[in-house]
Amino acid sequence: MFPYEEASWSVVDGAMFMGWGSSLPGITTLIAAIICVLVLVIGQKSEAAKARAFKK
Amino acid sequence: MEEQLAELAAKIADLEAAGGGAVVTNTMFAETFYYLTIPLMIIIHAGFLAYEMGASRLKNVLSSGVKNLLAFAFMIPTFYFFGWWVYWGFPTGLPGAPGPAGISGVEYANSIAWGWGESAQYMGPNIADQASGVFFGAFAMFAATTASIMSGAVIERIQTVGFIILAVVLGSFAWVVAAAWGWHADGWMVTQFGVHDFGAAGLVHAVAGFFALGVLINLGPRIGKFNPDGTANHIPGHNMPLTVVGLMLIIVGFWGFLMACVIVPGEAWSWFGDKPSTIYGTPITLSALSFNILMAIAGGIIGAWLFTRDPFWMMSGALAGIISTASGLDIYFPALAFIIAFSAGVILKPCADWLENRGIDDAVGAVTVHGTIGLYGVVMLGIWGSGYPALQGAAGEVPTISLMGQIIGALVFFLCGFVPGYIVSLILKVLGMLRVPEGAELAGMDIVKVPASGYPEWGGDAPVTPAHPAE
Repeated sequence: MFPYEEASWSVVDGAMFMGWGSSLPGITTLIAAIICVLVLVIGQKSEAAKARAFKK
Repeated sequence: MEEQLAELAAKIADLEAAGGGAVVTNTMFAETFYYLTIPLMIIIHAGFLAYEMGASRLKNVLSSGVKNLLAFAFMIPTFYFFGWWVYWGFPTGLPGAPGPAGISGVEYANSIAWGWGESAQYMGPNIADQASGVFFGAFAMFAATTASIMSGAVIERIQTVGFIILAVVLGSFAWVVAAAWGWHADGWMVTQFGVHDFGAAGLVHAVAGFFALGVLINLGPRIGKFNPDGTANHIPGHNMPLTVVGLMLIIVGFWGFLMACVIVPGEAWSWFGDKPSTIYGTPITLSALSFNILMAIAGGIIGAWLFTRDPFWMMSGALAGIISTASGLDIYFPALAFIIAFSAGVILKPCADWLENRGIDDAVGAVTVHGTIGLYGVVMLGIWGSGYPALQGAAGEVPTISLMGQIIGALVFFLCGFVPGYIVSLILKVLGMLRVPEGAELAGMDIVKVPASGYPEWGGDAPVTPAHPAE
């Protein structure tokens, strides 16, 4: 949704990203942060499993 | 009469239009200025990438590269999520009260640096805000630089995820705290002790270098680095030319790094309408930087060559030259910058040897180049620059640079790096997330971590690309 009442660029005088004024920025920020954490968890598990094969 | 009035009105309108144009031009200049520092600073990372991969043995070359790339990639979102908020929130220390310049404190940070609610307007596309994004970008690159500094020291035996966690703690927290305290105009080290660190010798380099030292103590040396009697073996990397070119790329990128430490004039957030300033509001010019950075690079190379004759240490000397003068690049005389940088180049290798003789395996000399020389640079400014007002204003109204103030600054920067580096790496060690198993280290980290080969034609089992496919 266009974040201003009138869907016209001429009324845009500030933030113009998708979701401005709604909860979308917060939700996407949270999801992005969760992705980072999950990638680390998955990365750690897979690397640890591979490294175990080389344990003496 | 009416015609004259109409002419006058037209002239006034023209003048107003011209003035408005000048304002737009200045704003565009300011935005472009910082925007261009970002790709320049990415060159630092190209340099660190080449430098680390070159310093790795053949069996570890790609894993060193992957580690470096991931540090860069994780630094940006984590700095977006919370690092930027820490910088604005805590210049006055805990609990985050507002400072005299009115651009700090938790309440202020809440209003500009979170990616949700009202503050999100400053953390995304906004036609009325041409500053926040480029400032964020430049600071995110400073953050990534700290992670890359630590990255080189720990190559060839650290786990990937453990390393990323350490990189995030360093790049999105530890150095940010040091920057808030010693770089922000409301920083307590600046307002109370007159700490001056224009080019971040302490708050970036020393913090990152001593963070790396804290990690290295818990990580331990590479297998084969030290003999049973404690003497050290040199473990050469697989490609010295790549390492040396990487170091030169870091030098190139540092022009962007130091350029980003300048506040341009004429904007609502500028210190002056007509001249550039440091982040402290003290005057500076890009000409000053040109004089002093070049002389520092030269001094560092020459100083390192004197006793080492080694291109690795010569280019490390160039870095040490910049770092040793970074705190005062705004006010040093070029010949003095040369002398300080020369002395840094001379002491560089003995300092690295001293550390190695104490059982620390710093694969690329990062603790010495960035940590020791960073603190050396902070203290040097206290010796040479005493009496200079540390902030915009006159001595008496604002604190002045002093040897004691710079020593206090150096001590705080050391602690900001070493303490979190040691504690977090100790926790990771206890959790088994710090070091790869011995067998994996001996086999080579590429075979464990990376489904690709750096030099496939050199590997014993790798397919050989035929020189002449027809044969």
